[in-house]
Amino acid sequence: MQHDISRRHLIQQLGLIAAGLAAACTPARVLINAYPQVFDDDPALVDRVLRAFVITVIPAAPADDADLTRAFTDPDYPLAPYAAFFAADLARRGRDRFGAAFERLAPEARTAIVGDGLAADATSRKLYNGAIALAQIAFYAGIYDARKGCALIDFEGANHWHPLADITYPDPTRFLGEALTPDGNHD
Amino acid sequence: MKTVRTDVLVIGTGFGAAAPALRLAQAGASVVMIEKGPKLQTADFRQTSDPKYILKYLKGISGDHLRLTYAEALGGGSGFYEMVSLRAPTLAFEQLDEAGRLLWPAGVDRPALDPYYALAERMLHVAQIPIEEVPKTGLVFAQLMKNLGLSVDRCRYAVRGCQGSGFCVTGCVYGAKQSLFLNYLPQAVAAGANIETDLEALAIQPIGGIRWRRGCALRELPYRYRVTARRRGGSGDLIVFVARVVILGGGTVGTAKLLSASRPYLPLLSEHVGRNIAYNGSVKVAALLPDGMPDADMFTGRTHPGMVSYQFLGSHGITVHAVKALPLMLVSAAHLGLHGDFWGAKNVELMRQVRHRMIILDAFGLTPPGGALQVVAGDATMSLPLTARLRAYHAETKRLLESILERNGCRMV
Repeated sequence: MQHDISRRHLIQQLGLIAAGLAAACTPARVLINAYPQVFDDDPALVDRVLRAFVITVIPAAPADDADLTRAFTDPDYPLAPYAAFFAADLARRGRDRFGAAFERLAPEARTAIVGDGLAADATSRKLYNGAIALAQIAFYAGIYDARKGCALIDFEGANHWHPLADITYPDPTRFLGEALTPDGNHD
Repeated sequence: MKTVRTDVLVIGTGFGAAAPALRLAQAGASVVMIEKGPKLQTADFRQTSDPKYILKYLKGISGDHLRLTYAEALGGGSGFYEMVSLRAPTLAFEQLDEAGRLLWPAGVDRPALDPYYALAERMLHVAQIPIEEVPKTGLVFAQLMKNLGLSVDRCRYAVRGCQGSGFCVTGCVYGAKQSLFLNYLPQAVAAGANIETDLEALAIQPIGGIRWRRGCALRELPYRYRVTARRRGGSGDLIVFVARVVILGGGTVGTAKLLSASRPYLPLLSEHVGRNIAYNGSVKVAALLPDGMPDADMFTGRTHPGMVSYQFLGSHGITVHAVKALPLMLVSAAHLGLHGDFWGAKNVELMRQVRHRMIILDAFGLTPPGGALQVVAGDATMSLPLTARLRAYHAETKRLLESILERNGCRMV
């Protein structure tokens, strides 16, 4: 089955994340390639591939985290229309270079595949950069549970109140050198 | 189509709009404010890095070398800024353009503005951060500067009862940050102003054949402008405002877009609209603290970590600050540069150290106002020519920040 996805649309959408939430605009009218129907028909396959992708990008992420791949198919995020294509691209690269399914490859081989995608043509580079950014934002920022945060980086998420003693140090004046102003405003 | 007559139409509800709206309403004028973004109050804020939430209020436009972020919501950026409230130093008013002319109009300088700064500071409860509330990252920054004999000052903020949650930039859920919907805007409403949200100004048209004289009272002015606005979402209804005076307070992007769209009706509109845009000259560098240096904390305490250095204001035209960032901003910043190990095992090791061992320095500078905003069919893009002067500023500032860190034994990342 042919999937005609506008390359311009793809780049614009991924640019929202890859370029720090600002819109990108790169004119191009080429269409990306076709991909096998099975990636549209088998969401479990797509999830396995994307899960392997996320733990390649973030090796210490827990592979059984229920939210690990959620952002890739979340319609509120720009990768959702391209998730199946992206999984198919990872699978194709794994098969072509190492002769095996991406999700069954050793970590070093998966790392090489992601590196291949980042070194490929401009559209692939945008796609892979966008996917890496989305995976990292979703995981480190804990976007699906604001209270969970991310234990890996000691980010506690929302509503974790700290007493002042946790926020600062005792005897703070020992850190300070000369001040140039009496009140913080420079003349 | 509904038509509304008012003495004053204020476009926008942010910092440039709220003060004149309040003062004119208090002086007895009928005032209507229109805001493109949604209504916003403290209860709407969330402590989250979820881009869905953030993008609801914060917008960005990009271009070559410069990206602008701005807010579309009641109160404009006042809901989402880091609440730093410093008076512009005298040096800012002494900037010259390439031809050696003052950038600011004659008579607009720090002494002239000080009484108005004082008034705004009272309204926003601006005060210097108490020393015992400076977050760890600010104290570590101070220590780095002190080690080199360099000065730091405690910064000033528009906040009352800060809880130190670290989520200033997603909106203060405690209502401690003095956003405009807590002060100027409700006072303007109490003085008789009307505020309409989700209403986008589309074009300004002068009403032809009107004669008027300078210096007459506002109420003696004729109705001089028709402003067409469209209700966003839902109905898309058009409303026409007929006003004696229109105040453009839609910010750098909003005002330039509106004026550009109105150009067919405003034949005398300057060709400089959307040009000569100044930006904050931000240059950032990041490093890991050396052993023996106390921990910083990227995630707790107010987002701007309490200290500013004016050490290089006279010599380099910059202030230096430390930066704290939520994970969303850290990841986004890493991807903007796209250099180094921005994914994989090495990146994870770096991310593990972000909270306590990473220090980010940011310099804000008096850069030449060379930015330009182009509006084509309603879409805006930015451009910033990389002049030799700008390249030199960036390179020299980066070297200076790196020098501060390296001379303290920090490892650059």
